[in-house]
Amino acid sequence: MFYRLSGVYRVNYVSDGRMFKVPADRNLAVVFLFLGLAAPFIVPSLYLNSYMLPWLIWTAAALGLNLVTGWAGQLHLGYAAVMAVGAYSAIHAARFGLPWEIALVIGGLASSVIGSLFAFAALRVKGLYLALTTLAMQFVMDWVLTHSPAISGGSHASLQAPTLELLGQEIVSDTGYYYVAFGWCVLVTIFMLNLKRTGLGRALVAVREKDYAAAILGVNSFYYKILAFATSSFIAGVSGALLVATFFFLAAPEQFSVNVSIQVLAMVIIGGLASVIGSYFGVALILLVPGLVNGVVTSASQALGMQVNVETLAHIPNAVYGALIVVILLIEPLGLGKLYGNIRDYLMVWPFDQLRK
Amino acid sequence: MKAKQIINAAALSVALAAGGAVTTAQAQSDEPIRFGLCFDLSKSYTFISPQVAQAAQDLAMHVNASGGIDGHPIEMVVKDHGNEPQRGVECYEQLKRDGVFIFNFLSTPVTNAVLPRVMKDENILMQSFVGRGDAVDGEVFEWVFPIGPTYWQQAANDIAYIKSQFEGDFSDAKIGFIYLDYPFGQEPIEILKTLAEKEGFELELYPVPLPGSDQAGAWSKIRRDKPDYVISWLLAGGHVVASKEMRRNRFPIDRYLSSNWLNEVDIANIGAEEATGILRGTNVAGGQEVPIVKTMLDTIYAEGKGSGPESSVRDVYYNTGLAIYSSGIEAARIAVENDGWPLTPESMKAAYESLSGYDGNGLMAPLTVTGEDHGGGGKTRIEQWDGETWVPLTDWSADYLDVVWEVIEESSSKFTVD
Repeated sequence: MFYRLSGVYRVNYVSDGRMFKVPADRNLAVVFLFLGLAAPFIVPSLYLNSYMLPWLIWTAAALGLNLVTGWAGQLHLGYAAVMAVGAYSAIHAARFGLPWEIALVIGGLASSVIGSLFAFAALRVKGLYLALTTLAMQFVMDWVLTHSPAISGGSHASLQAPTLELLGQEIVSDTGYYYVAFGWCVLVTIFMLNLKRTGLGRALVAVREKDYAAAILGVNSFYYKILAFATSSFIAGVSGALLVATFFFLAAPEQFSVNVSIQVLAMVIIGGLASVIGSYFGVALILLVPGLVNGVVTSASQALGMQVNVETLAHIPNAVYGALIVVILLIEPLGLGKLYGNIRDYLMVWPFDQLRK
Repeated sequence: MKAKQIINAAALSVALAAGGAVTTAQAQSDEPIRFGLCFDLSKSYTFISPQVAQAAQDLAMHVNASGGIDGHPIEMVVKDHGNEPQRGVECYEQLKRDGVFIFNFLSTPVTNAVLPRVMKDENILMQSFVGRGDAVDGEVFEWVFPIGPTYWQQAANDIAYIKSQFEGDFSDAKIGFIYLDYPFGQEPIEILKTLAEKEGFELELYPVPLPGSDQAGAWSKIRRDKPDYVISWLLAGGHVVASKEMRRNRFPIDRYLSSNWLNEVDIANIGAEEATGILRGTNVAGGQEVPIVKTMLDTIYAEGKGSGPESSVRDVYYNTGLAIYSSGIEAARIAVENDGWPLTPESMKAAYESLSGYDGNGLMAPLTVTGEDHGGGGKTRIEQWDGETWVPLTDWSADYLDVVWEVIEESSSKFTVD
């Protein structure tokens, strides 16, 4: 009824290789694409620049982490450090006078190089040991940033980004920033959607499931792991650079500290490993819900006329938010993406599947 | 129904004829002056932000009780940003749309993240003790008011105090600097090195990793080096650990000179008796003998109407909050007095820059803010804990201004980009 399908049947290779196997999914994606394009005209500017814009950029970043953690199965606790490399290289390149297009690519490549260099060393170990090694990268990066004024921009460790300029167009308006973020997020999303249709994606999944089994099948697991790290780091680098160029306007080490790494990982896990739509949900939950819960709790206490101490008031949302994460993971350990998938699957051939029950 | 409408209309026209100006003026005078307090009330800065928020709210209550500013009440809008830059930006953008143009974020990462927006929107940013130190340079950071001393100035004043203890002879003095090894603690190093070269004392650096709970290595080095004074850029629990190490290594606590971040909570954790003699450089008078703090205790807290627990009032960070907001409210008062209603960022800026010798009735070092110096002169004094309260050892003063300003200007010149 909702999806106008009697089921998903794999009848030929062409239809099986499609990005969207259900036409309704494609239509939904197109609707959201247009909604995204129209957002500056329908969403108030406050929501556009302080909710949607960071949401899109962080989604792009989370998708990058999902590539390495969700698809290739490598736990990464130093993702923010990789974003920092991209952000700082891009800004330094832009400050040096290079056009932003090139600066962004430089940022991405620098991240890629550092990220995969670390992976070279790190991939000799697996699982939790790898997680700890990536965590070490985070701390090394934190240390480098706070101890080298040449990189971080002086004793105050804040480096201002020059005005963003893309394709000869100076970007200064909220709408402009939004479209840059939107464009990047769409690009990464398309890449990730296509990933599972390619040999690379299949190889990554094989490596994730059992790397030596993959090796027996002729998949060079080390090569694909490095490739996953390099690709994800590139996405991280550009996302980090865009985050600074369109949202913070200056880079500071705290924006890429260890808790940010944990946050991105939380986004990916709560959203759902190897789920594209899950990353959108996960980022929304981790990034936006604390502020929203805060607003709800504050207005509720005002509406009820309760005299609550400001400090208590600030801690209640944290408790609510923590409980929310626990509840979600209890309901569906595979994350919000899977939760969405369950609802979708239930409705797929509804109500005809009811006849069978 | 009909009759009522006619009466209303008649009343309205009479009112309009009689004095439309008066009614509008009255309507306006209810309009509040709003300060945006986007604070970290739940993560890293909770050791100070509740006291500052409480002080701000109490101060607003106090001013409003006597009629506000020219009839306009003061409103403190307090919100939590959890020390997350993204939520700080969100708070700023939201309050900006609600018509707030005086902001304080009380967190270095958030202040830094919001700074470019505030500068672009030309709103007032209060950032005492947080954010970039070079923001006192009013010619570069036109809209930023970091009232109070920079960490550079504090360190320089500390050196001046130590010099006075040596009766001006630094030839065989050795000064240690123990600091958290991240930007907050590293900030004074440059100025200390410059002064060591200029004055000829020996400077020893003792970095301590975050969060300052492991200082064993640093203090055993201090025991070997035997510095005459140790200047400390530690926070909260760091002081407590330092006090234990001082006892262990037999370093006299009255040679331990902290930055302004040492409060009654830390003293209680060290032990009020144990802490006797500890020194702190500050621009805000500590204790409850300060007139405004006394007034608060006698009026608002005596009536049980305080914005928080009374115990927080007996905390020097409460005084710090009063200092930050009394200068802000004073600037708003001058702005309304000089340029009339409505208060605008421009009139507020001009008023701030006209503050001269303002000390909040003995609450803080006299402030003289100018277009060039948005810090207010950077005066501090050294206070000593006597077991019960803070006793001032020196007068308010600021030294080595030329050296400090050289660093400020060198740093602020790097801020601007095309």
